[in-house]
Amino acid sequence: MAKQAKATQGGDHFTRWLVIGMVALVVVTGVVFSVTSSKTKAEASFTALKGYTLGAEVKGTVDVAQGSGLVLNPGAPIKIDLWEDPQCPVCRLFEEANGAYIDDLVRTKKATVVFHVLSFLGDDSVRASNAAMCAADEGRYLDFHKALYIVQPPLENSGFFNGPNLIKIGSYVGLKSKSFTDCVSKGSKLAVVQAQTDAMQKYNVRGTPTVFINDKLWVRKSGTFDVNEFRLAVEAG
Amino acid sequence: MRNFNNRYQNILTLIGRLILGGVLLVAGGLKAFKPAESANAVAAYKILPTQLAHIAGYALPWLEIAIGLLLIIGVSLRLATIVAGGIMLLFVASIISVWARGLLIDCGCFGGGGAIDPALAATVHRTYFIEIMRDLGLAFIALYLYFFPYGLFSIEKQAAPIEER
Repeated sequence: MAKQAKATQGGDHFTRWLVIGMVALVVVTGVVFSVTSSKTKAEASFTALKGYTLGAEVKGTVDVAQGSGLVLNPGAPIKIDLWEDPQCPVCRLFEEANGAYIDDLVRTKKATVVFHVLSFLGDDSVRASNAAMCAADEGRYLDFHKALYIVQPPLENSGFFNGPNLIKIGSYVGLKSKSFTDCVSKGSKLAVVQAQTDAMQKYNVRGTPTVFINDKLWVRKSGTFDVNEFRLAVEAG
Repeated sequence: MRNFNNRYQNILTLIGRLILGGVLLVAGGLKAFKPAESANAVAAYKILPTQLAHIAGYALPWLEIAIGLLLIIGVSLRLATIVAGGIMLLFVASIISVWARGLLIDCGCFGGGGAIDPALAATVHRTYFIEIMRDLGLAFIALYLYFFPYGLFSIEKQAAPIEER
């Protein structure tokens, strides 16, 4: 051991500092590379919204008796409850597979869909959910909801879902009114947003996405979300 | 035991460097080009404020790669073993902290990471235990390398043993 301890001495301080400097350089370069690549990706996501085709307006109501969920097209024979967080990546996969089908169910009045817009993943979710409920007031929940998943950043709570960006997202899906921008920047819907997340316990929802078809929990059987599987489950009731 | 060590220390040190350096290099390499995933994984521990956790998540893979390379090629070995051992103890402490607070997450050690379905609690707790044991094992290798850094195939070599002349 004494032999080993003696190993390098004297002029070697230079090497040590050189190595420390190089390691620091590698780490700093890596961080800068990662930060810029994340930022660029987030900014680039807006371009995916260009040329978005708007659907017809759909009015919804918040129903306290249903966990403060946003009820679209009430009174249809089939009812689907969707519990989602705007930042949840698996919810994005669900939306990519089944979103168009669910939109169609609402627009053709085949099903009542109750959206529970959760925000347990953090502040970005709170702001995004608030904006989504603002969009609901303008009859544009379905469009805004879709847009949120199109731009969803891979990094959670990065601050990307902030007031200006949410207003910008809204502007791509027909939300340009002052009432919408005010609602987003003032956080007018925060009480409803909080109530929706609080309702998770009561309905025993422990993660997202959670789906109930006619109040029965639906669990996918295949490894990925498949619209045919989901359609069969909905049609079976 | 001491005889055994004297005789095979050259090889033991090489093996230790390759294991510890290899694990760090692989772990770092798998995460370095998925920065968002890595930043999310660190944030999921809920130890650092979110923004700081993201920076740590960006930095950690590159630090692991750098230290792993130093260990494998054999440069600044003492320094590298101190950092590597420190990182391992930090991981152990973080997993214990997560476990104690009842959080259920994927450690994100080799990529991935984030919250896990509460239904899998038992599996997650077993995984925590295995991860703690693994990291303690790696910390032990770092400790051995601290005392015996010089072995076969190393750029940095032991100075001529003065007392034998």
